[in-house]
Amino acid sequence: MERRNFLKLGAGGFFGALLSRYALADATSLAAPARPAPKAKSIVLLWMNGGPSHLETWDPKPGHANGGPTKAIRTALPGLSIAEHMPHLAAVASKLAVLRGMTSKEGNHQRAQYLMHTGYAPTPTVTHPSLGGWISKELGAPPNGLPAFVSLGGPSFGAGFLGVQNGPFVVQKAGSAPDNTHPETDDARFSRRQALLARAEQRFAQQSGSPMVDDRRAVYARATALMQSKNLPDFDVTSEPQAVRDAYGDTDFGRGCLVARRLVASGVRFVEVVQDGWDTHQNNFERTKNQLGIVDPAMAALIKDLDQHGLLASTLVVWLGDFGRTPRINANDGRDHWPQAWSCALAGAGIKPGVVGATDAGGEKVVGKSFGVPDLLATCAKLAGLDPSKEVLSPIGRPIAVTDGGTPIAEVLA
Amino acid sequence: MTSADVDAALRTEWRKRGVTPAAPIDDARFLRRAYVDIIGTIPPPEKVSTFVADGSKDKRAKLVDELLASPAYAEHWADYWEDELLGQARAADIDRLALRVWLRDRFAKNTPWDKVVTDLVTATGQNGPGGERAQTLAAEEHAIARSSEPVNGAVNYALKYRDAPQDWAGAASKTFLGVQIQCAQCHDHKTEKWTQQDFRKFAACFMRAQTVPLDAPMTKGPHRALVRDIDRPLPRFMKNPDLDDIGRAAPTALDGTPMQGTLRGSVAAWMVKTPWFAEEAVNRMWAHFLGRGFVDPVDDLRPSNPADAPELFDRLARDFAAHGFDLARLVRQIALSEAYALSTATPGEEAARPPVLWSRFRTTPLGPNELLDAEIDATGVDDALRRLGRFDVEAITERLRTLYGFVFDVDEELDRPNYEGTITQALIQLNGRLIAGGSTALPGTAVARIARDPGMTDAQRVEALYLRTLSREPTTEELDGWTKYLADPPPLAPVDDAKDAGTPAPAAPRRKGARGGGDALARATQRIPPTRDPKIAAFEDIMWTLLNSSEFVLNH
Repeated sequence: MERRNFLKLGAGGFFGALLSRYALADATSLAAPARPAPKAKSIVLLWMNGGPSHLETWDPKPGHANGGPTKAIRTALPGLSIAEHMPHLAAVASKLAVLRGMTSKEGNHQRAQYLMHTGYAPTPTVTHPSLGGWISKELGAPPNGLPAFVSLGGPSFGAGFLGVQNGPFVVQKAGSAPDNTHPETDDARFSRRQALLARAEQRFAQQSGSPMVDDRRAVYARATALMQSKNLPDFDVTSEPQAVRDAYGDTDFGRGCLVARRLVASGVRFVEVVQDGWDTHQNNFERTKNQLGIVDPAMAALIKDLDQHGLLASTLVVWLGDFGRTPRINANDGRDHWPQAWSCALAGAGIKPGVVGATDAGGEKVVGKSFGVPDLLATCAKLAGLDPSKEVLSPIGRPIAVTDGGTPIAEVLA
Repeated sequence: MTSADVDAALRTEWRKRGVTPAAPIDDARFLRRAYVDIIGTIPPPEKVSTFVADGSKDKRAKLVDELLASPAYAEHWADYWEDELLGQARAADIDRLALRVWLRDRFAKNTPWDKVVTDLVTATGQNGPGGERAQTLAAEEHAIARSSEPVNGAVNYALKYRDAPQDWAGAASKTFLGVQIQCAQCHDHKTEKWTQQDFRKFAACFMRAQTVPLDAPMTKGPHRALVRDIDRPLPRFMKNPDLDDIGRAAPTALDGTPMQGTLRGSVAAWMVKTPWFAEEAVNRMWAHFLGRGFVDPVDDLRPSNPADAPELFDRLARDFAAHGFDLARLVRQIALSEAYALSTATPGEEAARPPVLWSRFRTTPLGPNELLDAEIDATGVDDALRRLGRFDVEAITERLRTLYGFVFDVDEELDRPNYEGTITQALIQLNGRLIAGGSTALPGTAVARIARDPGMTDAQRVEALYLRTLSREPTTEELDGWTKYLADPPPLAPVDDAKDAGTPAPAAPRRKGARGGGDALARATQRIPPTRDPKIAAFEDIMWTLLNSSEFVLNH
């Protein structure tokens, strides 16, 4: 066994060849169906984990007993007032579609989070793919080594029966390099080890006859491609000008939003950024104010920054959480779970700014036309160029579409 | 029914289909399979040598008995069922460790499977000991023993469904009977006979389990809760427009038998007497050992999804029921069968084609716990940590278990011919702290002991590394290649003395939940001093290569 032979099979050769094979496969699968150019090349989901109060965000009810001390402020969008602790978003509101007539049935966190990510209530029969999973499967990863689907600050939801390879690449701590992307050893030794491994793999593939060895090599090639990607620094925000970083805020969520902009610019298809801490059963008003102190500047900076980079027209930004919160304030000055009526917000990808839907005076029920989670996800899917009604067979042979019978919300589609 | 009966039945099937079974595997490979599948880790190196050298005819049977009697057997199957029953469910009042202690005790005593399932489905009582969340199984067991009120860890299964009795009905039917009644939750089943009303009547049996919280909402650690039955559907379910129809339906088993009394007791008694119950258990175990059940997916026994080798399937299921639902006996029948000891390859047959009727062994990825335990056992990284003296190794391992469970979650339900891995998994293998630490000659690691053992030749050292990781001797060609590599080890990049303290691990921020294990390990192995001796480094390269190889991470 000569070292020269090892090197011939090194990262450039063996893994490289495999990688290009996969890149090619992706390219052909993309080219095959003639789709119209999607409006949203990328989606950024700003996930408000725990269930944000609609009354302290997009649908304040000042003057009503349910409204509590929360005041409303005017925004740049004529006719839209939002809660007082969102001044940065108020300033960019002319880019927003605020959906106040949303409703769902899941009041348990896990079930609601599943519903919001997949467009389906959980059932024991099948694990539904999240929207990010569908997009990864249908649109594929960019050719630069970055994954198709990235989640920053939380686990997001996987691709269910579409396979783990279409699930999110999870980066727990936004703003710096993802875990384990730098080898323990120096680069020369890492390449040497890869060559040694390639040799061992070849022998085992022959001896065992298992197709899994090749599949595994392909996964390793994707991991190595990420490690060596010239876009790996996209995960690191330290190269951004201080003024930009300040605009997003010195918070994990702010850094996550900035990373999202960088990833979107590099062709990542679906980025989720998570802000936890919205489950305000106690002390709702102070806690939502603190939450908004993080989310408001970050989301507004993201919208402006995408716009300045010429990316807003091709990027859909979605603000969404588990459910709304009980309009009636509880004994602990908190609000409990309220799926009956809640709000979400969209920006970018050519959506029509404005307010869609409304709740009653106390924020308890949707009045007029209401929209469900499948409708919202169908809207996102449609903007991303997916056919919301296209069905794929689940492992037990049941046809499953992107959402559970959702209809794209015409009111926000330009 | 003996393993020989299983073999005869399968041979008949193979003849009918015109397939020739693959060649039998050698003892070393059998040993590795049996360890991985029965107790969830790889064999210790000395066991490989003694087992291969053992000349007795019944050594495989003795091995299977020995593994079934080991504590690791109970722990492995407690892991399997914890995952199966709870999935990734996390809630303040779910005490996962308490359920695992409960399950482990059942497998340790080989409690008949009908009794285990009955006790799970009907469980009442307190979920856990309360107080700070235990970090290890041993700590949990200790806390349960000291709890002022008796603890029944089985109720944590019921707590998963405290807000969703309809899901509980669907999951119980699917998990224990392989009957996917839940499709009929929303509409009459499209291909099977189940109607929506059948579903409602069955789900009505699961509407009366009441959860009484025992701790205040902001309490730290798992919240204590009491599960008990009341004599009518829970009022809060009856106020829910999705559930009130179920609450009004007459509680009935899937075959039309009316259910009475404490409905969960009635429905459990009915479940374990159905033919599905034995079939589903046999199918699961067969799939676990042989990579694909008689029916695939493993929990879908509907008539329109016919079984492979249906006669054998039926005989095994009847035999299981007739012999007291004895899981250990079933493990012996399967693990000592001819099919379990076949090679993964048949010369001349296209490898990409799936095997016909288990005529070749299917390679499957090691499960998360299997992989973690194999990596720890192979590297001795736990010994190295213990030697540092500053770390609770068991607690770190438990957190790593959570991390691996999250990252390496594999679907054992379905026979997947392809390996579907993630970038994150590959990165953990390539660069993660466990593999990095375990493949560095730190004091206490296996590679350090072996590389520095003055009594061994290089060839013996390579052999020792193979026995530890791949549970076999290297081939002549491999041995030859590695000894040459060691004879002329590649030079190392010069070490910057200013940074001689070692490569600092990336900053380890505090994280919660699934990611905690990696951090604990990162802190524990924060500074891995660079190896300066090219020869020692070459041994580390071998160890790293073996740990990253498919032969290590697959069950084959």
